[in-house]
Amino acid sequence: MARKSFWKRITIWRYLFLLACFIVVVGNPFTNYYWDINFIQGWFQSLGVGNLWVVSPLEGLESILTAKAFYMPSLVGMVVPVTLAFLMGRVFCSWMCPIEFLSLLTDKILGLIPKWGTKLKYRPDLIRLPKRLLWFALITELMLTMIIGYPLFVWWSPPGLVGRETMFYVFYKHITVEIAIVVVVLLLNLPTRRLFCRYLCPLGATLALIGKWRQLVIRYDASKCVGCKVCDTRCPMGIKPSVGESQSVYCWNCAECVDACPTNALQFTWRDRGIIKVPSVSTKEV
Amino acid sequence: MEKKRATEERRKFLKVTLGAFLSGALTSSCDLSRLKNPKTMVKSPIGPNILRPPGAVPEEHFAQKCIRCGRCGEVCPYHCIKYFDVKDGGVFSGTPYVNVMEKPCYLCMKCVYVCPTGSLVPCAKEDVRMGVAVINRQICVTWQQDKTGLMCKTCFSVCPFSGVAIKIDHDFRPYIVEEYCTGCGICAYSCIADTWYENNGKKAITIMPIKWKKIKEIKLEDIKKS
Repeated sequence: MARKSFWKRITIWRYLFLLACFIVVVGNPFTNYYWDINFIQGWFQSLGVGNLWVVSPLEGLESILTAKAFYMPSLVGMVVPVTLAFLMGRVFCSWMCPIEFLSLLTDKILGLIPKWGTKLKYRPDLIRLPKRLLWFALITELMLTMIIGYPLFVWWSPPGLVGRETMFYVFYKHITVEIAIVVVVLLLNLPTRRLFCRYLCPLGATLALIGKWRQLVIRYDASKCVGCKVCDTRCPMGIKPSVGESQSVYCWNCAECVDACPTNALQFTWRDRGIIKVPSVSTKEV
Repeated sequence: MEKKRATEERRKFLKVTLGAFLSGALTSSCDLSRLKNPKTMVKSPIGPNILRPPGAVPEEHFAQKCIRCGRCGEVCPYHCIKYFDVKDGGVFSGTPYVNVMEKPCYLCMKCVYVCPTGSLVPCAKEDVRMGVAVINRQICVTWQQDKTGLMCKTCFSVCPFSGVAIKIDHDFRPYIVEEYCTGCGICAYSCIADTWYENNGKKAITIMPIKWKKIKEIKLEDIKKS
């Protein structure tokens, strides 16, 4: 039952990766403003690293839907995130999103409180909504966008706003009222962990939809499971890996359950052993 | 068996979708721009001296194309690109603008090359049409030289297309050649007419926003005529 050694925990790498992404997004206004280094520009609506352009799929889609025209660099920019989501599912949400970083930080800080720390860190959900609300959020967002005729998620996207408010603060020395959206999203974490990410985030819905047939999944091995249900309490998305829900579309591959599992019943695996399936040699012929 | 059939169907569906998407995107036959409703539901905050950055598509499509990624403002070496917030922009919140009275555009053309959505289209320096400068001859100290006794020539000397976009006549009075004016706003920014005591701090030059494509058409027609 011993926990995995520190560097073998996947979540440690996830925290480090989240931190690195957060530093990139929050740090690049500083490099742009104070040192005029334009190697990295933008934030998660569109990130330019050198000549690599990344355009967020939902924002790009909204831009296409409202402008009713294709623009090749924008389409090409969507290739990287769409491929990533297609192969690995919602890894943007769990491994890169600055909102997830801030939520995780609040969780960890709550965990430092003596006595109730662990209870608060893995608090049970006070508000439970149907999971399919996620799809309705995406549909509502797209319909509103098309009715109004202007893309909406481009300005209220919480991960984008983290970058934008930092940029506003660095460049123009003031922040705008939109910071309230980020604060509200973080406050929604308190009754239920990742309430916004679970039920309301249209970008998460887009990525989940693309990652429906993802290759990287968490496999549940029922023969190894001892039924301790630790994974259910640890899962920030409120799904139950202990009944095999880890391969569902709502899982975001954050590896919390993989590390929590005392018997290694939950493991990352490439579905169909990766893209190329190795033909099995039957022993009868030999 | 059932699973295999499902897989095949899925693959077929994916292939058809991908094919349709690619053919649509590549031939660019999806020119739906003519179907666009010209009426917008909200009023644009763009106005005199509040302009879009260089190379911007016409204002009625700008907020639809722009994904508010802020890359134009981050590469701008003069930090002259600013962003609307929700209070004064509404749905235009997060879109870039240049207030030429605070800081004009110096036409370094860095921003147009980082725009991922084609809201700012890469173009040559002289093809930029952010707006057009309009000289108020009642305020310009050189036009009122009988009264002021001044011959300032500031706008003429700061214009990046000096002698082409701004010309001066035999009395050093400036006038704008509209088809060559890029609307960068350097002349409006550096106009000294506001220091003349009768003008109450008004500048003689205002940059009026125009439709980027329209001025190009005008220019072509003029070339054909001449």
